[in-house]
Amino acid sequence: MTMQNNQKRMRVYFTGVGGQGTLTATTLLARTALEAGLEVVAGEVHGMAQRGGVVESVMLLGGWRSPKLDLGEADVMLGFEPLETLRGLPYLKKGGAVFSSSDPMPPVSVSLGKAEYPAMNRIKASVCEVAGVCHFIPCRELGIQAGSVQSGNTVLLSAVCASGVLPFGVDALEEAIKKFLPAKLQEVNLKALELGKTALKG
Amino acid sequence: MSNNPLLHGAHGERHLLLGNEAIVRGALEAGVHIVTCYPGTPSSEVPDTFHRIGGEGRYRLEYSVNEKVAMEVAAGAALGGAMSLVTMKHVGLNVAADPLFTAVYTGLPGGLVVLSADDPGCHSSQNEQDNRYYARFAMLPCFEPASAQEAKDMTREAFSLARQLEQPVLLRTTTRISHMRGPVDFDDLPAPQPKVEFRREPSRFVPVPAVARRRHVVLDEIVARARQIAENSPFNTVTEPAAPTDLGIIVSGVSRNYLADALSANDWADSVRVLELGMTWPLPEEKVSSFLNQCKRVLVLEEGEDLLEQDIRALVQKRGLSVLIDGKNDILTHQGEYSTTLVTRRLAQWLQVSCSVQEPRCAEPDLPGRPPNLCPGCSHRAVYYTVRQVFGDDAYYSSDIGCYTLGLLPPLRTADFLVCMGSSISAGSGFARASEKPVIAFIGDSTFFHSGMTGLANAVFNQHNVLMIILDNGTTAMTGHQPNPGMVQDMLGGMSSHMDIETIVRGMGVTDVAKVRAFNIKTLTKTLEEMKSKPGVRVLITEEPCVLYARRQLKKTSPQVAEVAQQGEEALRCLEQLACPAFYRDGDNLAVDATLCTGCMVCLQVAPGAFKARKRQG
Repeated sequence: MTMQNNQKRMRVYFTGVGGQGTLTATTLLARTALEAGLEVVAGEVHGMAQRGGVVESVMLLGGWRSPKLDLGEADVMLGFEPLETLRGLPYLKKGGAVFSSSDPMPPVSVSLGKAEYPAMNRIKASVCEVAGVCHFIPCRELGIQAGSVQSGNTVLLSAVCASGVLPFGVDALEEAIKKFLPAKLQEVNLKALELGKTALKG
Repeated sequence: MSNNPLLHGAHGERHLLLGNEAIVRGALEAGVHIVTCYPGTPSSEVPDTFHRIGGEGRYRLEYSVNEKVAMEVAAGAALGGAMSLVTMKHVGLNVAADPLFTAVYTGLPGGLVVLSADDPGCHSSQNEQDNRYYARFAMLPCFEPASAQEAKDMTREAFSLARQLEQPVLLRTTTRISHMRGPVDFDDLPAPQPKVEFRREPSRFVPVPAVARRRHVVLDEIVARARQIAENSPFNTVTEPAAPTDLGIIVSGVSRNYLADALSANDWADSVRVLELGMTWPLPEEKVSSFLNQCKRVLVLEEGEDLLEQDIRALVQKRGLSVLIDGKNDILTHQGEYSTTLVTRRLAQWLQVSCSVQEPRCAEPDLPGRPPNLCPGCSHRAVYYTVRQVFGDDAYYSSDIGCYTLGLLPPLRTADFLVCMGSSISAGSGFARASEKPVIAFIGDSTFFHSGMTGLANAVFNQHNVLMIILDNGTTAMTGHQPNPGMVQDMLGGMSSHMDIETIVRGMGVTDVAKVRAFNIKTLTKTLEEMKSKPGVRVLITEEPCVLYARRQLKKTSPQVAEVAQQGEEALRCLEQLACPAFYRDGDNLAVDATLCTGCMVCLQVAPGAFKARKRQG
């Protein structure tokens, strides 16, 4: 019952806000991995709990069977919203890699003035204390620049692929975008892909 | 013509599928004819996928009005010779239990597979009941897949067994399996399968007492045959380690994944023998006994209730075996979900070795929460706001199952109690009778058709005092916009018929009926004021399409967005009482996020002067 394979095992944790498209991004990256010939299992939880709430999903590469990961197990964390990156931090393995949006989407309690959104430098400091690799990218802003807020997710996916922490690169993601996204979304997302690559270098 | 791989993918192709999509492919590979359902997370993507791919005449899909009806239609179809699938979430099977318990007595020659998608951990449910109980209670064979591949393969196998035994078969998934994505290798799609011809046999198919007593004997024989099939099922496998050991693990469901990952991560695979059960009921007693016979100690791993553990303990006693059975304890309890970490801890304790699981980093303290919320532009917010303005804390609010249950959150606070799907009117009736307080029962359109209609009939018949507000947003919003009879005919298409809620309500004898646009606060207020002091059953229907549905399916968006015209007390009052997620604070000022604002213009009515409309840019 144990998996026999030589692929490096890796767990990726995704977190964001309901409606952002976190699950679509997870599926796209999982399909990229499968196309790249990797063993992949992904997991997500959806339903009412996600309406405007926190959305978490996972992708496990290299032969895991469980579609779930526990605290302290993620090699890579993709945060589609900075507060959720901070909230999801306990899932990260010490020394893991974090790629996060730096554009806040305040929860209702913050909008109502009943709670305070943590300062961005506190978020960055906490994340970098645990993470070995740590990138904050203005995904929402770059997404709008590419042509749609949602393509901010592709900015983040592109950055993580370009960083070399995953067993495949941006080229694989580009192929997956061309193969799996509807034609009308491709141009925007390919533009977002370029912006993500550049943002990582910058 | 769809080019969807589920419908056209050939033998040998490999695709990344959601567990629920894999079930669809499995049913297609079996040759399914009829699918009925009531949507409910985590089951909804099964019928939705059947709907999305169209089927090109291979099958007929029906969104039934509730699970009992879905079960009855599917059972009737299976009596009529069709290979039938009925899908629902775990609590749905409670609704459908009545027909199920009788269907196993008559048997269904066409073959019926019942999908129950359980939700351990209550990700989107009111409880975490373990529906493996139903397999034992109602007496039907049970399959529990643990991967997307198995979701496909076991679905096909379940159909094959359902036809072979002429008996309903339970396919039981859990959230992690329904919503996992994994690679699935395809087999052939068969030519359309023959339907089984129905032969009149009232002495079998009409379970009056004399028939039922005889059928109970037959049912026991069928279960015995199913047990033989489980003994040889390829889904029940033993893995022996390289060197012999007398330590054994018996594992079922999603725990099989956690065990596999825990064993391989800690290099423990060589310390234990493992019996994995995929066809979990009837228990293959010979296979389990022979496994137990070679062990001194056995650990049973199963998420949820300790059903397998009890069965195995009973088997040990029955057969006089000398083996120590361990199972649930303070690490692996019957609450919530298992995980690789929990299983690793339990294994380390049981194997008496140290383990690699480290204490996780603590959560960041004092982070602002992000609970789920009614969407920006949700029409329910306008209704709840107005009801609260008119009734405040004087009325008691009976809620129901849907997105609108989120009205429980402050500042709206329009849910005081909730029993189950369709209960708001009936539980509200009882509450009003007992407490003599004003009661408002909220119910959505889909829920009204599900089982709210019967509660309303009861309220009229028994002369209860209750105001029922039907929040008609034109779709089944919570589970992803599935059709219901209240939807407009244009959206239902030719396969279904529209039913008018107001006509139904009047037809049931309610005379105090009003229908109002949900975003019209003035009329809403006036109508509520009028209904407030009246006795008896009153029904207010508030109409406005679900904002996500309006945008995605009806292609309707507002050309305007709201913005703050004047800062100050009125603007802040609106922020605090309406709490629309599109509002945010910009320093001391209030602002509206134009990317979230949907242009419902409720804030302009709540605080005239404080807000104004402007044309959406870009």
